[in-house]
Amino acid sequence: MRSRDRKDLFPGALELMVLQSLRQEPRHGYALAQHIKRVSNDLLSVEEGSLYPALQRMLRNGWLKARWGTSASGRRVRLYALTDKGHSHLTHEVSSFERMLEGIRLVLGPAAAARAWKP
Amino acid sequence: MTWIRDLFARRALERDLAEEIRQHLDEKIDDLMLQGLSRDEASRLARREFGNVTLLEEQGRDVWRWPFVEDGLADLRYACRQLRRTPAFAFAAIATLALGIGASVAMFSVVNAVVLRPLPFPASDRLVTIESRDRRGPEPDTLSYPTFLDFRSKSKAFERIASFRDAGLTLSSRGLSLQLRGQIVSWDFFQTLGIEPAAGRWFLPEEESPGARVVVLSHETWTSVFGGDHSVIGAPVTIGAVPHVVVGIAPAGFNFPLSSRPDQIWTTLAHDASSDTVTPMTRQRGARVLHVVARLAPDIAIEEAHAQLDVLAAAIARDEPDQNKNIDRTYVTPALERLLGQSRDAVLVLWAAVSLLMLTACANVASLLLARITDREREFTLRLAIGGSGGRIIRQLVTENLVLAAIGCSVGVGVAVMAIAWLLPMAAEMLPRAQDVGTDLRVLSFTVALALMTVLLISAPAAFRVARGRFTRPLGAGARATTDDRQAARGVLVAGQVAVSLVLLTGATVLAASFVRIVKRDLGFEPRHLMTFSVSLPSVRFPLDRQVQFVGELIERLEATPGVTAASGGMPLPLEGDEINVSFEIEERPSAPSERPHSNMAIVTPGYFATIGAPVIAGRDFTATDDEKHGRVLVVNQAFAERFFPGQSAIGKRIKPGATSRRDNGSVSREIIGIVGNARQELLATHPEPIYYFPYKQLPWGAPSLVVRSNLESAALESSSRRIVAELDAEVPVHSVRSFEDVLSRGLMAPQLEMLLIGSIALIALLLTATGLYGILSYSVLRRTREIGVRVALGAPRAWIVSMVVRQVLTLVMTGIILGSLTGVAANAVLRHRLGMTGPPLAPLLALACFLMALTAAFASYVPARRAASIDPTEALRNE
Repeated sequence: MRSRDRKDLFPGALELMVLQSLRQEPRHGYALAQHIKRVSNDLLSVEEGSLYPALQRMLRNGWLKARWGTSASGRRVRLYALTDKGHSHLTHEVSSFERMLEGIRLVLGPAAAARAWKP
Repeated sequence: MTWIRDLFARRALERDLAEEIRQHLDEKIDDLMLQGLSRDEASRLARREFGNVTLLEEQGRDVWRWPFVEDGLADLRYACRQLRRTPAFAFAAIATLALGIGASVAMFSVVNAVVLRPLPFPASDRLVTIESRDRRGPEPDTLSYPTFLDFRSKSKAFERIASFRDAGLTLSSRGLSLQLRGQIVSWDFFQTLGIEPAAGRWFLPEEESPGARVVVLSHETWTSVFGGDHSVIGAPVTIGAVPHVVVGIAPAGFNFPLSSRPDQIWTTLAHDASSDTVTPMTRQRGARVLHVVARLAPDIAIEEAHAQLDVLAAAIARDEPDQNKNIDRTYVTPALERLLGQSRDAVLVLWAAVSLLMLTACANVASLLLARITDREREFTLRLAIGGSGGRIIRQLVTENLVLAAIGCSVGVGVAVMAIAWLLPMAAEMLPRAQDVGTDLRVLSFTVALALMTVLLISAPAAFRVARGRFTRPLGAGARATTDDRQAARGVLVAGQVAVSLVLLTGATVLAASFVRIVKRDLGFEPRHLMTFSVSLPSVRFPLDRQVQFVGELIERLEATPGVTAASGGMPLPLEGDEINVSFEIEERPSAPSERPHSNMAIVTPGYFATIGAPVIAGRDFTATDDEKHGRVLVVNQAFAERFFPGQSAIGKRIKPGATSRRDNGSVSREIIGIVGNARQELLATHPEPIYYFPYKQLPWGAPSLVVRSNLESAALESSSRRIVAELDAEVPVHSVRSFEDVLSRGLMAPQLEMLLIGSIALIALLLTATGLYGILSYSVLRRTREIGVRVALGAPRAWIVSMVVRQVLTLVMTGIILGSLTGVAANAVLRHRLGMTGPPLAPLLALACFLMALTAAFASYVPARRAASIDPTEALRNE
């Protein structure tokens, strides 16, 4: 049941994107959703709501912390920020993700890799 | 242990989550409205892009929980609430399951102890029994010594072959005499079974030769008689007045031909190898007295061994046509199967019956549950519609059923324990290894597996329904099917149950009626205050005259005991089931030997009829002077007189019986001097059997059993009897002491057990039928709520609604009753044939069974019918 929100992504992709987005600045849920949608070119379209179970998971793992605050538009929102643990997890995930990508590239060859990334 | 902290912080977390999701949607709607959408459109789009709020919120909450455990606990609490809310349903379901599980567990512990456990010997699956097969009939027969010895020396298929036969042996040691249950065995009997002695050694091959006098004692005899003294080994003991040497002690608990009373002593076949008067048994091809157990040689299959023995048997049949012409084949059977004999089949048939009951119980509870699901359909549909997951609902249903099964199982185990405690003592005499029935790991695992299977079976239909309902029945679809194929299938199931219960009920009433008849039966004598015991008088020490004298003195002394009103001797005694059947010639109607009539006989002392309370109807009883110096006489019972001398007086007639005394040198003519009432020899026989009585002094075949009538307590009488015998001869053992009331109740055990077993199963079946009917009717009323509502709204009277439900019951029950009656009549014929009963007439019993069934049906349909009648049309229609 819990894995249903990831069905369109590889495991951990949503987490990776959230952590990366929060590295720049603390954001609240709606802002995060908009940000991810924008920077991913709507490519990785997920239900917006599936963000929340993922956020809860990351809170529980101690990668994020949350506090109630006020947004730029003056709304009362819950702001998420990266913890130290979240930082190191992101670094680790990014490097292993890059290693994996490199591996895929080598297997598929430059042409195939280019096709795969520019459909 | 963060989860403990989490548990406390949870409420805040869940509030936060709900709040921020709401904020998210608000912000999104605002954004969309800024882009020019109306509030409605924006709201719809926002929700669509967000996804299933309920489900996502649930998933978000799940992150913080031990969802499986916590949901389980919540489900459990909810399940208990649900059950408490519908006590009638809970009771019906739990009772059904408890009965089914109870019967299954009880029966399985019997199957486990009796059938499933191997024999307690190494590689016991290699043990087989060998019997001979007569061309004239399929009944397996015992072997004679010469045949056994031929098999042993010529067959290559066995590692070892051993013989054994029952023999009562009198053990005298240190001034004490005991009658023991013994076996006369070939030397490697114990080695064949593969066990080691607890002390000493087993027999040696040379100890089979005539003149060898050795015994092995059971552990129980060794400890109770000799106090477990090791010096007994190698010491002399007296067996039947002949000195023997104890060579070994069998291990504790050793019980080879599985018996309710294990053997106590073993000696070798040397015992049968010598005789002063006749050809020793070991050399008589026609004396078929041996049981044979063998261990298959390695790599030999049982079929191969069987084929080899058949060849040997055929050769013997050719070489010894006089005795063995027709005995040219053998039976080789796995030992356990053979030792269990018919009880194995009986146990397995009962097991099958009980399993069927269990399946029916599950089907009925499943049907009850379906009715409940229908009742709660709106709840589930709503939960599905607002995004609750189907899996979650199914899990909750399964949890509810788990609770049902758990309670049903606990109650069922209680039922099983009680059933075993109640029935087993009655079965102990008839069922090998019954004393071992109990709870072990296998029974426990079976119980747990059964409970889980039950949950699965009863949950499946409802779960299927929910899973299907999720896709085919959106909220608000008011149209409902009013007919259903499965409804018909359930109807067939219930009608079948009615039929089966009716057959069982009929059987139970017939058995009960026959049992009452047996209990009320005139025994022809007075069993109260009557006791019997036996003495062993070995012929070495008690030649004929001495034996007759001893019995005479014993009876005199017994009669002189204060409190004793009468004492005498007789064999065989009434109700014991032993019989001696001998042919005779009626002098006024001479006939060829093969044409002569035959009848049971007994040997009694004077005063026997007065002692047991059988009236002398004509003529006289025997007197002390009816001895070998006076005329040969007989007394016959009424049945004998009526059978063989119909329409005339039997007194004064002369017959020539085949039973002869060594002193008479052949058959002598005897005069019938008296006719007595029909004292029953065999309790379960339908009619009193003819029997003719010989005076003991004219036919001293062996010491008769003693019968004593007194107003003493049985313990006091037993001790004074033992004292009197000891005073006469300290080495004569007293055994088989029992009151005739015990003999009677023991004789009643088999029919009683039969009646109780069939009665219990019938009762369970009846109760199951009731829950089955209740379930299917409740379900059908619920399914037709709308239809009934419409009918009531259109003016159908309540009585018509009730009659609609009643019609359904009637169709089901009548179908069942017709089927059941037909089968019942057939089953009754079989039962009667077996019971040898002429009455009681079937019709009233069948009517009684039908009445019980109808009563049960009426009871089961009362609640659904009332519910149907009380359906409020506005309510029923608004519900949709």
